Amino acid sequence: MHLPDKVSGLFLVGLGVAAAYGGSRLPPVPGQQIGPDVFPMVVGIGLAICGALIALGIGRHFEEEAEADLAAHSDQPAPGATRSKWAVGLKVLLPPALLLFYVVAVDRLGFVPTGAVMVLATALALGARLKLALPLALIAPVGVHLVFYKLLRVPLPDGLLPMPW
Amino acid sequence: MDTLYEALRLVFQPDVMLAILLASIYGLVVGSLPGLSATMATALLVPITFYLSPIAAVATIIAASAMAIFSGDIPGCLLRIPGTPASAAYTDEAYAMTRKGQPELALGICVWFSAIGGIIGTISLIVLAPPLANMALEFSTYEYFWLAFLGLMCSTLVARSSPVKAIASMLIGLLISCIGMENPAGTPRFTFGATDLLGGIEPIPALVGVFALSEVMRAMTTAEPPRLPRRRFGSILKGMIALTRKYPKPQVRGNIVGIIIGVLPGAGADMAAWVSYAMSKRLSKEPEKFGTGHPEGLIEAGASNNASLASGWVPSLLFGIPGDTITAIAIGVLFMKGLNPGPTLFTEKASSMYALYIIFIIANILMIPLGIIMIRIASFVLRAPRSAIMPVIVLLCAVGSFATGNNLFLVITLAAFGVIGYVMERNGYPVAALVLGIIMGTMVEQSFVTSLIKSDGSIWPFFSRPVAAILAALTFAALLWPAFIWVNQRRRRAAA
Repeated sequence: MHLPDKVSGLFLVGLGVAAAYGGSRLPPVPGQQIGPDVFPMVVGIGLAICGALIALGIGRHFEEEAEADLAAHSDQPAPGATRSKWAVGLKVLLPPALLLFYVVAVDRLGFVPTGAVMVLATALALGARLKLALPLALIAPVGVHLVFYKLLRVPLPDGLLPMPW
Repeated sequence: MDTLYEALRLVFQPDVMLAILLASIYGLVVGSLPGLSATMATALLVPITFYLSPIAAVATIIAASAMAIFSGDIPGCLLRIPGTPASAAYTDEAYAMTRKGQPELALGICVWFSAIGGIIGTISLIVLAPPLANMALEFSTYEYFWLAFLGLMCSTLVARSSPVKAIASMLIGLLISCIGMENPAGTPRFTFGATDLLGGIEPIPALVGVFALSEVMRAMTTAEPPRLPRRRFGSILKGMIALTRKYPKPQVRGNIVGIIIGVLPGAGADMAAWVSYAMSKRLSKEPEKFGTGHPEGLIEAGASNNASLASGWVPSLLFGIPGDTITAIAIGVLFMKGLNPGPTLFTEKASSMYALYIIFIIANILMIPLGIIMIRIASFVLRAPRSAIMPVIVLLCAVGSFATGNNLFLVITLAAFGVIGYVMERNGYPVAALVLGIIMGTMVEQSFVTSLIKSDGSIWPFFSRPVAAILAALTFAALLWPAFIWVNQRRRRAAA
């Protein structure tokens, strides 16, 4: 998701103004000049100024220099442009989406089945063959469960599939 | 002497020793995998440290981060892909040596001079910390405010990006730290009525999201790195003593620069390596050899990044102000384990401090044998396909974040910060500044508001105390430095 500096800069202006406004509405502490409103207001105003500078393209010059420097020092292949932009965009969102799935499902399904789904989906999305992805999805959650549940005593939910330990 | 004896007793416990060994192996493996940085290795360790004794917890972080910074050199040297950002500065040089048929020499330099740099950095920590602690006892909230602010400014200065964007990232971090009721007035702020937000944003899931989850997201779009050709290495340490004798100056310079950059709050190993490599090239007698597989720059920068790692603990331990992102994580662990950073740490918990020094030295000595083993098995480790490693990392992120508070809201925080980190990185907003903002926000606000209340709203005391005035001047210098460079470049271009 590459945005032009104008868009991200203006977004920051909005965020800064909203923060400063939200801060200014906080109730003061009785009998004291300095309340909880001061810090968000200072930060919000600073953020709005930075956003405006970014939208105006100030400081862009430093970034170009750093990019050129980095490009000269590594020859990692550029992201593949073969697939459509949307497919790539959705794939990027897979890991956070799987985490939300974890939040919704872990109490009902239990840690091991939920983990297996997450591992399988990530592995396949990264181009693993089933021969690798399936055993990984079966072994990795059990191993993680063993370490965190048994050794570190993190209360991971059992759900449908309680482990023997 | 008693304290030293006590410290030795603390360190030479079976659990601490085992923690050092396992964390070292973990750090070596994670650091050597391209895309997985030393910071990420440390962030994923934090949930595990909850369940260890205080000394063992700190030991795992020290050992894992030192090893990861070294082992990032391995793929850089063999594949021209830096394993951690701290190795990026001299990857070309190391790879040129491999192409000339001297991979043993390049890797030998990396492991040998990394270890020496680490030990010298530790000595600087031992020497610098007590006098600075004495000075810090006199500090009031005004000085703490400027110190914290200076740290934030430095973190924006060293980001290899637009300084305006770096400052914006830092301010976003400060804004995130405002969420919740952890402020001097105890008023809930920006919670939008959600009870889960009342306690504020937990830094650890946020860190794991920004550094680990967003890396998995990036892996979804980039091509898999090439496989390492299988090869047999000759003796790794051969010729190191001769090189140590031949290049005394670059070594000393690298170590000193690394120490200085490490001590600066906010600036860390990546910066140290870039500065040292550039300096080595400029001051060398044979600058034309740089880039063709010349050991000099490699020695200087390799020593520098490991030296900065140890000296980065100076501001962290003394003021609770992180020297870089790794110590930012470490500070959280120190607080959790009752080793609250601050000048009194040196008087009240002196044995723990000594224990920390000893762990640093052990980790850096251990780096040589373990590093050599790692180099020899690197072709096997680096053969592991990314599609097998990343899924496990997603799972570890989820469990690790959950374990910080046994609360599923933390997993949502993790997912949100993964997205934030990914979008920011893609658009040139440095995430390290964001993380430091989140971690230091409470401290900056605390010292800022307390100072203002003490002075009855007047700004004058922020500048009238001598140390505060010096720190303020440094902060403004850091703020205006990019503008100065820009004007200077314009003038030179106009003259040419």
